[in-house]
Amino acid sequence: MPFAYQLPSDVSPATVANTSSLLRIIALALISGAAIASRLFAVINFESIIHEFDPWFNYRATKVIAEKGFYEFWNWFDPTAWYPLGRVVGGTIYPGLMATSGVIYSLLHAINLPVDIRNICVLLAPGFSALTAWSTYMFTKELKDESAGLLAAVFIGIVPGYISRSVAGSYDNEAIAIFLLMFTFFCWIKALKIGSAFYGSLAALFYFYMVAAWGGYAFITNMIPLHAFALILMGRFSSRLYVAYSSWYAIGTLSSMQVPFVGFQPVRTSEHMAALGVFGLLQIIAFAELVRTHVSSKQFQSLLYASVVGMGITGALAIIGLTYKGWIAPWTGRFYSLWDTGYAKKYIPIIASVSEHQPTAWPSFFMDLQLLIFLFPAGVIMCFRQLRDEHVFVIIYAVVASYFAGVMVRLMLTLTPVVCVTAAVAFSSLLDTYIDPAEPDVLEDDSNTGQDAPTSGTSTAVSTSSPAPSLKKAKKAAAAAPPAGPLDGLVSTVTAAVSSSKKAGKPRGVFGLDTRIAVLINALGMLFFFVMHCTYVTSTAYSSPSVVLASTNPDGSQHIIDDFREAYYWLRQNTPETAVVMSWWDYGYQIAGMADRPTLVDNNTWNNTHIATVGKAMSSSEEVAYPILRKHDVDYVLIIFGGLLGYSGDDINKFLWMVRIAQGVWPDEIQEPNYFTPKGEYRVDEAASSTMKNSLMYKMSYYRFAELFGGNQAVDRVRGQQMPKVGPTLDYLDEAFTSENWIVRIYQVKKDDPLGRDLKTANAFAQGKKRKRSKPQVRRKAVS
Amino acid sequence: MLSLWPLLAALVSLSISSYAKSSTGDSVLVVLDPSLQRDNFSIFFKGLEANGYDLTFRAPKDVQPAVIQDDHAEFSHVILFAPEAKSPCYSQDITPQSLVTLLEKGTNLLVALSTKQTPLTSLAAEFSLILPPAGTPLVSHFPERDTPSTVVPVNVSVNPVVPSSLPPVWFSGTPFAFGNNPLLVPILNASPESFAADSDRDSGADAVYDAAEKGGEGFWAGSSLGLVAGFQTLGGARATWVGGIELFSDEYAEKTIGGIKSGNEPFAADVASWTFQESNVLRIESVAHHRVNETLPRETYTINDHVTFSAQVSKYNPETSAWEPYSGISDLQLEFTMLDPHIRTSLIPVPGEPGKYSVTFRVPDRHGVFKFVLDYKRKGWNFLESTTVVPVVPPRHDEYPRFLSPAWPYYAGAISTSIGFLVFSALWLTGDNQEQKKSKSAKSE
Repeated sequence: MPFAYQLPSDVSPATVANTSSLLRIIALALISGAAIASRLFAVINFESIIHEFDPWFNYRATKVIAEKGFYEFWNWFDPTAWYPLGRVVGGTIYPGLMATSGVIYSLLHAINLPVDIRNICVLLAPGFSALTAWSTYMFTKELKDESAGLLAAVFIGIVPGYISRSVAGSYDNEAIAIFLLMFTFFCWIKALKIGSAFYGSLAALFYFYMVAAWGGYAFITNMIPLHAFALILMGRFSSRLYVAYSSWYAIGTLSSMQVPFVGFQPVRTSEHMAALGVFGLLQIIAFAELVRTHVSSKQFQSLLYASVVGMGITGALAIIGLTYKGWIAPWTGRFYSLWDTGYAKKYIPIIASVSEHQPTAWPSFFMDLQLLIFLFPAGVIMCFRQLRDEHVFVIIYAVVASYFAGVMVRLMLTLTPVVCVTAAVAFSSLLDTYIDPAEPDVLEDDSNTGQDAPTSGTSTAVSTSSPAPSLKKAKKAAAAAPPAGPLDGLVSTVTAAVSSSKKAGKPRGVFGLDTRIAVLINALGMLFFFVMHCTYVTSTAYSSPSVVLASTNPDGSQHIIDDFREAYYWLRQNTPETAVVMSWWDYGYQIAGMADRPTLVDNNTWNNTHIATVGKAMSSSEEVAYPILRKHDVDYVLIIFGGLLGYSGDDINKFLWMVRIAQGVWPDEIQEPNYFTPKGEYRVDEAASSTMKNSLMYKMSYYRFAELFGGNQAVDRVRGQQMPKVGPTLDYLDEAFTSENWIVRIYQVKKDDPLGRDLKTANAFAQGKKRKRSKPQVRRKAVS
Repeated sequence: MLSLWPLLAALVSLSISSYAKSSTGDSVLVVLDPSLQRDNFSIFFKGLEANGYDLTFRAPKDVQPAVIQDDHAEFSHVILFAPEAKSPCYSQDITPQSLVTLLEKGTNLLVALSTKQTPLTSLAAEFSLILPPAGTPLVSHFPERDTPSTVVPVNVSVNPVVPSSLPPVWFSGTPFAFGNNPLLVPILNASPESFAADSDRDSGADAVYDAAEKGGEGFWAGSSLGLVAGFQTLGGARATWVGGIELFSDEYAEKTIGGIKSGNEPFAADVASWTFQESNVLRIESVAHHRVNETLPRETYTINDHVTFSAQVSKYNPETSAWEPYSGISDLQLEFTMLDPHIRTSLIPVPGEPGKYSVTFRVPDRHGVFKFVLDYKRKGWNFLESTTVVPVVPPRHDEYPRFLSPAWPYYAGAISTSIGFLVFSALWLTGDNQEQKKSKSAKSE
């Protein structure tokens, strides 16, 4: 066998193995370092701060766990959230993230490292991204080999699609969930591969961790049964599948029910029925197999099959029946919105109003995955070439995740790991092909494949075609020794035939060094640009804390816009601790976390009516809103206004969602069309509709806005519209605070007038306006 | 709780001026029009001074002493006896707006009106008093008497402000109709035969008759007209409107009605005592809540707890200038509220413990931030308001019952599975070695 380039011949196989494993360890360590380092842009460019909205609640909860311990956290009733309903925090969250940080915190303190809990929270996500890289390596190793694993680890380590949710400070459930997702899948594949109850239980354990950490656990709950079901349909039922699935399902389900927020859902909701159904199906099939091995009678077997089918149908009917009876909760709205992207907008505006629930824009696939999105289909096709059980899993995962990522921006996150894995498989196959020094002998190759084609054993085909002592090839062959099902054999035969014909038809020149180097340089160049892209996207797009905004001064230096914290600290310093703050729900967690004041609604959108109440107050006139505010003991109203600075994520732009959500509950009082001009435009200037101009939100946003321009034309920079010279007036609210750039405006709700008048009249009197003379009330005419 | 602050402030001021009769202080500013002689009202003013008030006189035009200095009300009470002064006659610090500010700051007001159009006329409208047009005094031709028809004897009915029955009082001035403001406390109403007319002669009688025929619309007549009305503001201050300043004069006080001395003097004293927060002043000393069989309040209560709420109420005694426990309220109510009252129950005086009201109830089966709300608003009394916020939480993880009888099937299932597993393991481990080998070989096949 000729070689394309010289290999050192005086190295023992043990040395090769040791060196490669050392290199792998070093590579993994470097990958972990790169994964962590690339997530620190947020800390370096800004500061060590918790980002966005949900992380603020997680941070607050973690502080409780760190200060008061786990049981107090478990029983934590937060009276300041959802005032006055309160929130049973222990029973309405996934505690995995906080528990993780709490454990790390206690560990560090136990060894006398007094690390601030905030820093643990900020750096948790980067830390776990290193673990994700490692688990992706393990997963891909099962799929192909170590080199593919390392590539996958690099990809997942720096791919923007994952970084977007795991930069330092992005202290959210997803930060640890992706690691758990990949590790559970790895355990599942491993369990399936070797039929190990140990790995099955390990998968269940990590599944439990996942359930405790993220609501997206339903993805695993349905992926694994889907995989198992596909294998059954492919005729690949085996005792390994039975052992792996049964141990995973039994232990995983029981342990997942220990999470209070999940409770009895695994046996009572439709989302979990697939797992239960497949579990039942497996028992039936296993029983049938058992009987089949003991009974030989043909009639009995057909009877048995009939009864198996009957039992399956009965089980399915039972589930449907239970759903109708209400014992099993039907599919939720969130589920329907996955299939019909317009569903949420029509029926559950509260879900549709969240930007991360919108369908994904196509450019974001490229932005988040770059090169990988092109390698992804190639990798999936590569999986078909071998099509062992784990490849089936990856194929199913790829199909399902691709669909979901197209439906919802947020689910891009679940697609990213499988893209990295398959892209790594494809890319490493490319590298394998062009680095492998073995130059096949055409004649020998022909004869070999010619002999192999009729036989069905794949492992022999591969090993005989490359007898070279190449470590990789040998490993690949070892890894490729599969349990051959009938379909698997067929596919491998076909692929073997295809590859052999390709190889045979090509001239020898292709194997020359120059060709190899041309391809390899190209490939390395792609990788290089991938790294460039990832660094660029991470530093510019995904590292903004969104609590602090950055802009650029004319001289190029960075200017920090810190209005949010300015306003929240104003609240913290200047209002009584019991002062209730009303704002749109987006800012609830931040107010609770930074201002430490009770809020009416927050990002845990569990009570639609309460949110609609806030929406109604915001979109009604002052007279209508005031009783609502008083009933809920609101002391301050906080709004976000970007008109001065051009900050487009402000409340006026979200206003229509408030209207829609309020309309969902009070269709008689709030109607969306009233907020548009007669031409159907959404405007805030002179032409705005009177309902719009009288709404509390409009008044609060533009109160005294025109004065700021000192007689010049006032312009709203977000909407690009010219504001009227005379702005709105407020009778029931007092302006309490407006931040430096007017982004946050806080209004105080006036108390009742001491003379019992309505505040509009009182205000008119205080301004010296004359009141119309009134007359005594009409009385009944006296009977003469 | 907030509503307690004025009361606390009152307590502080009380401790400073312990000899005062009023619960809020003894300094009184009398804004007296120069056209009115102080001696004409000597009985009224002497009576106040005898009660321990410290009177300061000032003409409406004077700048000193200011009513509000440095955003602080300088006097506890203000008597505005300048019913005919037009706006230029007032200095800057007495305007309708500043008078309302005074009330917000807890100063009590006693205001006399006249039939003339003055700034006070527009202020009266803010108190939901509807004055007749300028120049229309109260007129009554009954009973027959030797005085002009605009000087009217009015019977005094007993009400919270005037606790004992008095002889009729002489009145001369403008009546007013009441708007629908619940804070108004009618003290003296006109006699049924009286009406407001633009002349004291009877030339306009036909017009009055026509207006009456039209159903009383726009017509000031009858016993629903007020002559003296109190106003209890939400902040605790009191304002009293008197239709005519002569009510307080020495002349009317000494004048007789049918041979009996008029009731003007005691009536004026009663009105002043109510206005200056001597009479009918209650306050909540303290509220307490705790679980049954405990004594200390909890930060949170669990659903279905039995909770005792108690309040200590005092009444101001002007005789001794002291707050005394008061158990005389029979209709005090307690609400346990989250958005809406979940529980509304009467707070009953505890026998044997004066001033203490208490009730025990079961907390609703609903978690959330609840408030104990005490809201007692009665005409003629100051308002009792108290809000205590307390979260009601679900049971802790270890407060649920440990073993449930309906769960026995599950317990049985768990136990039987465990036993089965043990038995199976025992059989498996102690079973025949050969069989094991067989099964192993079968597996490897």
